[in-house]
Amino acid sequence: MTQQIELSGVNKYYGAYHALKNIDLSIRKGMFVALVGPSGCGKSTLLRSLAGLESISGGDLVIAGQRMNDVPPRKRDLAMVFQSYALYPHMTVEQNLTYSLRIKGIKKAEARKAAEEVAAITGLSDLLHRYPRELSGGQRQRVAMSRAIIRHPKAFLFDEPLSNLDAALRVHMRKEIRALHDRLGATSVYVTHDQVEAMTMADHVVVMRSGVIEQQGRPLELYDRPANRFVAGFIGSPAMNFIPARTSSDGRSLVLDLAGSNAVELERSLPPERELLVGIRPEHLVFATPGMPGFDVPVAAIESTGAMTYVTTATAPEIVVVLNGRVTIAAGETVRLTFDQSNLHVFDAKTEQRIEPSA
Amino acid sequence: MRRMISSVRDGRGFDLMLVGVPFAFLFALAGLPLIYNILMSFQEVDMFSLGSFIRPFVGFDNYAALFRQPETWPILTNTLVFVVGSIAGQFAIGFGLALFFWTSFPGASWLRGLFLVSWVMPGLVVGAIWNWILSGDFGVLNFLLRESGLIDGNIFWRSDPNFSLWAVIIANIWLGTSFNMILLSVGLSAIPGDLYEAAEMDGANAWQRFWTITLPMMRSTIGAIIALGLIFTLQQFDLFAAITDGGPNNSSNVAQYWAWDLSFRQYDFGRGATISVIMTVFVMFAALVYVRSTRHEVRG
Repeated sequence: MTQQIELSGVNKYYGAYHALKNIDLSIRKGMFVALVGPSGCGKSTLLRSLAGLESISGGDLVIAGQRMNDVPPRKRDLAMVFQSYALYPHMTVEQNLTYSLRIKGIKKAEARKAAEEVAAITGLSDLLHRYPRELSGGQRQRVAMSRAIIRHPKAFLFDEPLSNLDAALRVHMRKEIRALHDRLGATSVYVTHDQVEAMTMADHVVVMRSGVIEQQGRPLELYDRPANRFVAGFIGSPAMNFIPARTSSDGRSLVLDLAGSNAVELERSLPPERELLVGIRPEHLVFATPGMPGFDVPVAAIESTGAMTYVTTATAPEIVVVLNGRVTIAAGETVRLTFDQSNLHVFDAKTEQRIEPSA
Repeated sequence: MRRMISSVRDGRGFDLMLVGVPFAFLFALAGLPLIYNILMSFQEVDMFSLGSFIRPFVGFDNYAALFRQPETWPILTNTLVFVVGSIAGQFAIGFGLALFFWTSFPGASWLRGLFLVSWVMPGLVVGAIWNWILSGDFGVLNFLLRESGLIDGNIFWRSDPNFSLWAVIIANIWLGTSFNMILLSVGLSAIPGDLYEAAEMDGANAWQRFWTITLPMMRSTIGAIIALGLIFTLQQFDLFAAITDGGPNNSSNVAQYWAWDLSFRQYDFGRGATISVIMTVFVMFAALVYVRSTRHEVRG
């Protein structure tokens, strides 16, 4: 397996501000990697450092076996799709597409042929003679993509390319970009703040916060075994419920910090006498039939979208339950909730790191 | 009358008034003198008929006579050299400075502001300063050229017919450069930065980025600045009055200065007006270019 992009110990400072902290990341050829995190987490800085639009202060950046730390962007052979698309407003779509080829000195007829081929893939064939200002948002997005595709670069860099599109088009373009990636056998790095985009498009998701990679792995790996409270809360929608809890002296049971008696007998043991945060996803909570183990909570609100029902409890902290279909209960009633213990995520209350129960 | 008052009171007709007032102002202070000027170019005007409006009509006699004068073509050539030289110098140096300050080093915007000092100075003051700089015997310019080995003897900038026009052009370039720079700076800062990043990713080096992004994106600004430059250089009068007085022997005389000289020194108002009309045609053309280039702005 060839590593297309490799970062080791990459650091980036803006003056005294430490923007990227010891980033290690390997991207295999053909992989679709999503960098995801809240704004200011450093994901865009990392992407721009790959591109060469920002210099890195320390560490190594290797692209296709070549150390690229001090190589200018134009010699890195990477293509970038900008959030603003950055189309050249004074050029037609065709001129936008062939710009990189013309810079390289490729003949006009050849460049035109390449533009027509790419336009056929991305559905721009009828728009080649238009100017960017005459295009819709979705069309501009396609031009930006085509401009990257025409170059056959070592990797595609996407900087939140869908954030200027409306919701329906965004979902559509998500599939289209992924399909293009597969068709071209490309290597892609995709920055987004939308975890759904990251989960649905990527082979490998990198979750960042404050310049640090909190966790990276396959999308479902992150969903199933989040390494810490931040990742657990960031991946998945609606967000995971967190309930403060404390283990008993033998570590075989757990008391949830909710009103009422909420002791949970554990199937596996946890460290004894520990302050914990227990995480349970809204979709993993179910109503219990009376007599079954579980805990009783008052209902604050019920919202139904038809297919799904969202139940919010009147507890502190608030708990959200997502149920398929519809329910007959009303706000103010009390319901008994239960869950499969294999879906329970346990984090240390102080370090917020994941704790694995032992058998 | 009641209708007129109510039309203003209820807002209807107010729009007409908003257009009407400036229109009347322009007509009285620019339109009438212009028409009067054109009229005079077709009349025989002398000191005694100056006060009357109706004067002997002479058709194109003034124009014909003007072009029979031996100094006409040299002066029109001077005007062309003055306009082209001034605009080229102002634009080239102004664009260079604008690009220089665009790199935004510490204090760049502050320094750029200081450059405007030359533009806010009255032409006569600028002329006086340049008289000293250009002075043949003790001028700083001669000193610099001599010390750097570019010339052997002193150049008498203001009294040598080969240099007198260039003396005014140099001063005018100095006067107009900062205005060019400010307008071009505004144009440069309006280009989105991500275009350069995209071009850089697409493999363009600094030189290619300048030719393929900066220049085409600046097209409307450049068109406007050159049209304005043409208008401003054709208006330049103070520097001629202060530096060479059009001499020696008309070697630095230009149309606008000659028009004034004919009218108010030689009291040949007919011919003075005739030159003004010819110049008006050129300025109208420049104004047309200006309006067109500001209308065709390219913005993504």
